[in-house]
Amino acid sequence: MDPVAVPTAEAPENLASDLEDLLRSTPRHPRFLLPLLQDIQCRFRYLPRDALRFAAGHLGIPESRVYAVATFYKALSLTPRGEKTIKVCLGTACHLRGAGSVLDALSRTLGVQPGGTTEDLRFTLETVNCLGACALAPVVTVNDRVYGQMSPGRVADLLEEEAGHEAG
Amino acid sequence: MRLANPKALEEWRARLEEAAAACAHLPKVRVCAGTGCLANGSAKVRAAFEAEACARGMTLPVDFAAETTGCHGFCERGPLVVIEPGGILYEKVKPGDVPEIFEKTILRGEIVARLQYRDPNTKKPARTPGEIPFYARQHRLVLGRCGEVDPFEIADAVRLGAYAGLAKALDMPPGEIVGMVRESGLRGRGGGGFPTGAKWESARKAPGRHRFVLANGDEGDPGAFMDRSLMEGDPHSVLEGMIIGARAIGARKGFIYVRAEYPLAVKALQEAIRQAKERGLLGRDILGTGFDFDLEVCRGGGAFVCGESSALMASIEGRAGEPRVKYIRSTERGLWNCPTVLNNVETWANVPRIVLDGPGRFRSMGTEKSPGTKIFSLVGKVKNSGLVEIPMGTTLRTMIEDIGGGVLKNRRFKAVQTGGPSGGCLPGKFLDLAVDFDALTTSGSMMGSGGMIVMDERTCMVDLARYFIDFLAEESCGKCTPCREGLKALQRILHGLCSGRGEPGDGERLRALGEALAETALCGLGQTAPNPVLSALRHFPEEVAEHENEHFCRAGACKGMYWPLVDPSKCVGCGACGKACGTGAIKGAPRIPHVVDRQACITCGACLEACPFSAISPVRRERPA
Amino acid sequence: MIEVTIDGRNVSVEPGTTVLEAARSAGIEIPTLCAHEGLPPEGNCRLCSVEVVERGKARIVMSCMYPVNNPGLDVRTVTDRVMALRRFVLQMLVDRNPKAPVLQRLCSQYGVKPRLAPEVEPELCIRCGRCVRACETNGTSALGFANRGWEREVTPPFGENSPDCIGCLSCADVCPTGRIGWEEKGGKRSVWGKSFDLVECERCRERYATPEQLRFAGVDPETARLCPRCRRIEQQERMRLGNRGA
Repeated sequence: MDPVAVPTAEAPENLASDLEDLLRSTPRHPRFLLPLLQDIQCRFRYLPRDALRFAAGHLGIPESRVYAVATFYKALSLTPRGEKTIKVCLGTACHLRGAGSVLDALSRTLGVQPGGTTEDLRFTLETVNCLGACALAPVVTVNDRVYGQMSPGRVADLLEEEAGHEAG
Repeated sequence: MRLANPKALEEWRARLEEAAAACAHLPKVRVCAGTGCLANGSAKVRAAFEAEACARGMTLPVDFAAETTGCHGFCERGPLVVIEPGGILYEKVKPGDVPEIFEKTILRGEIVARLQYRDPNTKKPARTPGEIPFYARQHRLVLGRCGEVDPFEIADAVRLGAYAGLAKALDMPPGEIVGMVRESGLRGRGGGGFPTGAKWESARKAPGRHRFVLANGDEGDPGAFMDRSLMEGDPHSVLEGMIIGARAIGARKGFIYVRAEYPLAVKALQEAIRQAKERGLLGRDILGTGFDFDLEVCRGGGAFVCGESSALMASIEGRAGEPRVKYIRSTERGLWNCPTVLNNVETWANVPRIVLDGPGRFRSMGTEKSPGTKIFSLVGKVKNSGLVEIPMGTTLRTMIEDIGGGVLKNRRFKAVQTGGPSGGCLPGKFLDLAVDFDALTTSGSMMGSGGMIVMDERTCMVDLARYFIDFLAEESCGKCTPCREGLKALQRILHGLCSGRGEPGDGERLRALGEALAETALCGLGQTAPNPVLSALRHFPEEVAEHENEHFCRAGACKGMYWPLVDPSKCVGCGACGKACGTGAIKGAPRIPHVVDRQACITCGACLEACPFSAISPVRRERPA
Repeated sequence: MIEVTIDGRNVSVEPGTTVLEAARSAGIEIPTLCAHEGLPPEGNCRLCSVEVVERGKARIVMSCMYPVNNPGLDVRTVTDRVMALRRFVLQMLVDRNPKAPVLQRLCSQYGVKPRLAPEVEPELCIRCGRCVRACETNGTSALGFANRGWEREVTPPFGENSPDCIGCLSCADVCPTGRIGWEEKGGKRSVWGKSFDLVECERCRERYATPEQLRFAGVDPETARLCPRCRRIEQQERMRLGNRGA
């Protein structure tokens, strides 16, 4: 569970200084916990263990509360995510139009189970419950880019197009 | 910039209308930039229009304007483009089409036939959205400005009427605003169908110095995207509704809770808030009346349960999104234990019209107990899928056949799933049901957020129940015993049924578990979780029995529980099945009936889906002795 | 005061009293797991269900949280429906936790037998949250819930060695199933993977608290030399001597 033990490209060394600007711009009220964690997640692609303690101190709440929130919300992760997160929508409309086989194809091609991250840390494969683009089912997003009308046959094209995009 | 009073707002609106009328004859395109069309490349299409105009020596935006709008609601046909003047609609537009569109339509008023929408049944082309049954039969009131305005430009929304309702409300005593909403009969559009006016009244009367208004933009129901469209396409409709509500109950602060998966909606709302504040329509001393109200957007963290009201409030407070036992209503003790009105985004968007045009006008549509219009997301195995706003009381048949164009590939209608994971499936005998809150509930389903998922005979109702239970088990907060443990128990049985391990009595076990779960769960998620299962047992008992006792899936969806059999009298040997098959299990020469090789077949169902002649059907497998 | 009828018996209670408390004052016991007299109620185990009839409508509510606020409330604590729902809740609990004595007792009372599915690992925790509430009420919120759904569990952050834990054992005191283990050996106490020194009373030699507990309670080192019992005894001694001297 300890993220530092996971081989990662950028285990933040000076976490305190890296977090300084984020903390400064976050009001010291408990209600900013989720946005603060989302900002930290955005910057480091996961929540480093010590970041939780900094957040607790800054907001004046117990660390157990920060841990509860960090483990409750799917958008947050205690282990490093890939540069790009591939989300396969498993909403009802997508399910009916074969999202399951798209997920299988991606899983096979990338060599990871849903929820996992490729060894080179390039991709994290996730499932998501309805992105609200149901008329384009089946839908896959990579970071904020949306790919509609996916099929197992189009997985290779998707990965190729993504290779063309810069990280992020 | 800042509007000093309501009069200044009207004067500005008049100037905007004048300016628009003055250049109504100038060529313009409106390119949909909702999430769906953006995914299909509409940003490049817009850029192509601008580039083409420049190449022809036109000055933007004086000689020509390429505007972007929010979601038009017909996402499958995107990128959608409307050419003015004339309102010509083109679908699936690519950057490469732009020069031709410019040459023919913009400069010469001629139609590019291949880009027109064609009715899937009559094949007739439609010139304008008004000629498409999908749009023509809608009453786009709440969605009125979606697709017509640039959501990132407040002037567009104001020109088309935004904040006129607010100006009127600011002149009314708060109690009168509540009275109007009560009289209108507006019921919550998020799922509960609770009378909005009663909710506001209860909050207004509750003691406490601080009050809050909240918008539920968590829209977690798979298959529903009406709130996304509203937030992306016309954020000011939501803002205006909330400011009116705040005035009605005496709130000075509000939050719009948007799920993490809607980044564009978050952007649109945040920009709308910024621009509204700039104009004095939000923030301090609104329109010079001394009324202060501030709005903030809160992003969710990826938890469906946060759509439940007390969980949503917990999330805003900075805690895990766990619901709490609610014997005391949140209108009395909600956010930070203060009186709170939480309404769905669509409910808020209904409010400005009710205040502006009066409750009578609102009541003139819909049914007695469910007045007004409702936005439905019609998706699944339907020809025209997208967002549909129609009066309550419209029948399912009208929705699915007239507006939706009927079942995809002309297959047989099997059921429509309404209300998402909290709802149920209605089979064909309900097609003439006049849809409103109570009608859906009595027939064993519910309105939910308005998702309508159409299914054909290839959908297995047991697999669908399994799908919803899997979803809910993943999203359960885990606080109460029935939901945390009970969903797992239901999951086990359903997975067994869908993988050929069903046991006699499973259906009865599902029913007993489901009913007990519904009665003991702590919150709405658990209380309604068994609905899809109970609905399958109620309306499709034979299918459940077949899974239980014969390990047979008549829909051909559950792997290993059927064999695909080609009917030689129907098969014309087109080879579509062979192409779809991933394991080479279908053999046959062209124009000769094909045969499935059972040694190679993995029952993935691709051939069943691919056959254009419905010549392949699932049949029972022989049980081992 | 408000009148409420429970199983036919009339009781007068203050407005806001829970049905559970009202029932107890009438001598009627309703089974509970997550409720605890010293802690705010949470209503998560769902065992304490009762049927209430209000304005002609009957519904199931959790007695540990349902407030008596309106006169004329009619409560039934033992109906067929209520019993069936309690059996359901117990079945769900015992299918994951067949070993806890409190559950075994309730199960034999309600005629429920565990049916552990082969893939389920039996556990002692029933997620009643009493430990978390106790830590919040008495202590430092070192303990909390993590994850959600089936995976929801009680844990200090990252599973061990919380810097906030003061070793007071409030959590272990309120745990109904015996899930929370702790040990005292060789002058040290360990709980939740953290080890604490124990302060020894100068008078009776009992190792009575951790230094972290004392610091948290604001007990100065001088006072801390004696355990609470010996402190009281010494105080009584002083008073006795004082009186004699006067």
